Amino acid sequence: MNILLEGIIIIVGNYGSGKTEISINLAANRKLAGIDVSVADLDLVNPYFRAREARKQLSELGIGVILPPDKYLHADLPILTPAVAGLIRKPSRLTILDVGGDKVGATVLAALADALDGKTYRMLQVINPFRPFTDTLKGCMKMKGEIEKASRMPIIGIIGNANLIDETTADLIYEGYDFVSTVSQESGLPLEFITVPSRLSDEIDMKRFSCPVLKLHRQLVPPWKKAAGL
Amino acid sequence: MGKILMKGNEAIGEAGIRAGCLNYFAYPITPQSEVAEYLSHRMPEVGGVFLQGESEVAVGYMIFGAAACGARVFTTSSSPGVSLMSEAISYIAGAQCPAVFVNIMRGGPGLGGILPSQADYFQATKGGGHGDYRLLVMAPASVQEAVEMVMTAFPLAEKYRNPVMILGDGLIGQMMEPVEFPEHLKSEPSNKDDWATNGMDTRKSKKRNLVKSLFLDPVKLNENNLILKEKYERMKREEIRFEPYNTDSDYKILIVSYGTMSRVCKTAVDNLKAEGIDVGMIRPQTLFPFPEDAVFRAASKKSCRMALSIEMSMGQMVEDVERCVHGRCPVKWYGKCGGEVPTPEEIMDVVRSYL
Repeated sequence: MNILLEGIIIIVGNYGSGKTEISINLAANRKLAGIDVSVADLDLVNPYFRAREARKQLSELGIGVILPPDKYLHADLPILTPAVAGLIRKPSRLTILDVGGDKVGATVLAALADALDGKTYRMLQVINPFRPFTDTLKGCMKMKGEIEKASRMPIIGIIGNANLIDETTADLIYEGYDFVSTVSQESGLPLEFITVPSRLSDEIDMKRFSCPVLKLHRQLVPPWKKAAGL
Repeated sequence: MGKILMKGNEAIGEAGIRAGCLNYFAYPITPQSEVAEYLSHRMPEVGGVFLQGESEVAVGYMIFGAAACGARVFTTSSSPGVSLMSEAISYIAGAQCPAVFVNIMRGGPGLGGILPSQADYFQATKGGGHGDYRLLVMAPASVQEAVEMVMTAFPLAEKYRNPVMILGDGLIGQMMEPVEFPEHLKSEPSNKDDWATNGMDTRKSKKRNLVKSLFLDPVKLNENNLILKEKYERMKREEIRFEPYNTDSDYKILIVSYGTMSRVCKTAVDNLKAEGIDVGMIRPQTLFPFPEDAVFRAASKKSCRMALSIEMSMGQMVEDVERCVHGRCPVKWYGKCGGEVPTPEEIMDVVRSYL
């Protein structure tokens, strides 16, 4: 089952849920499927491990990347470049907005309300049940409510991103899938897709899932590790 | 409970709670702010207190006040913030109070930058504040190790009635790794009735306790310093921790490296081994007390021709390495300190250049 997302996709979730890793991999996946893709790094709250760190890999694939100006790339300042509003007004066939974590990170979206007015967009919540605060249905719904309130926009779908990074196993993927499926059923929000680390994709029984799967080639790695090829 | 995925800063906050510490005072600063943010959610859930001070100066003295009253207390900050706390740290050490400080280092001097650095080695191990005091300093190299060091720090601070510092760098605070919180590291706060200002009624005593660092009588001040000195000598006997890596091999070069930098060096050591080049490594887990004997013995190995201190600072730990090697072999330094972390390839090139 392939991922068929198009239009303006806004990726939100709690800190460390995997929004940026998913944004980068989703962009590459769709670009390789032949469609025009742009990514905007809207993470104004987290100083490390942002989409800007994969700008070279993304640009090499021909994916448009909207970042703050170079001289501010390592600043912990809330800089929202006007190019983001420009991108929303003239979006690519798939335009991904990679938003910062929690309600604090999502607040930036309210500043884009004018640009988004009248546009069709889909805001998706990334859930990793092995992270604090989103390990229960209640926690996920609380996070959803807080992000919706801060951004003044509705979340309309879920992305399952169960992982313990290098210690992720097939069993954890299955357990995580069951969890997000339950969240999906209880909340009525469709499960758009789940992620599976590329190194596990051969040993995982994909037939077990009734949603598309995004194979993740990990990009945001510490300095002693190498990023996987996209 | 199974493992969960946590950012270093979140895990440090949770480790404080799991260690039985319910008092946390702090002021936000990148790249450490997530500790305060995490604990602002978590402390109320467990009946603890998170209080944001008006500045790091205020926070330092809030820690002193709570510690003097016998409460378990900790704070977290990053380099410039720790500079502001340093006066209070000196007072706390002089007054012999237990407290835990976490420094998630960023590049300096001055405001510097927000990316990782290890440039507060001198500040942590040699002073920071004024006077003859030392901190027991532990340096984690992973999120799991940060958890274990934070949990261990509280009983150690109480054992010595001295501040303990966890010295991490921005990457340790910001990176995510799977962690668990070992139940066996949880410890009950020690009985502080002998010295803390916890109230005569509370301890059912008629004796007044006085916590102070002011000793106007020179004999008394010298006595207080001798007490402190004896504690630091005891730390050297009982608290040294380090990890040897590939030191059974016949290495020509010995790397000494800690924290994030040691993770990079380990990858370089593994890659060089695959090329047929053996490099030994000592990773100090305590920076004070420094693993003097381990470094001396590793540098004294017959095959060893050089020791290399690799650090994200412009040459601070190298002074301790030189001191401990006692001239057994030449000591060199390699490092960067702008926020960039050297890559394994860079370290491999440096090693090759000395072969």
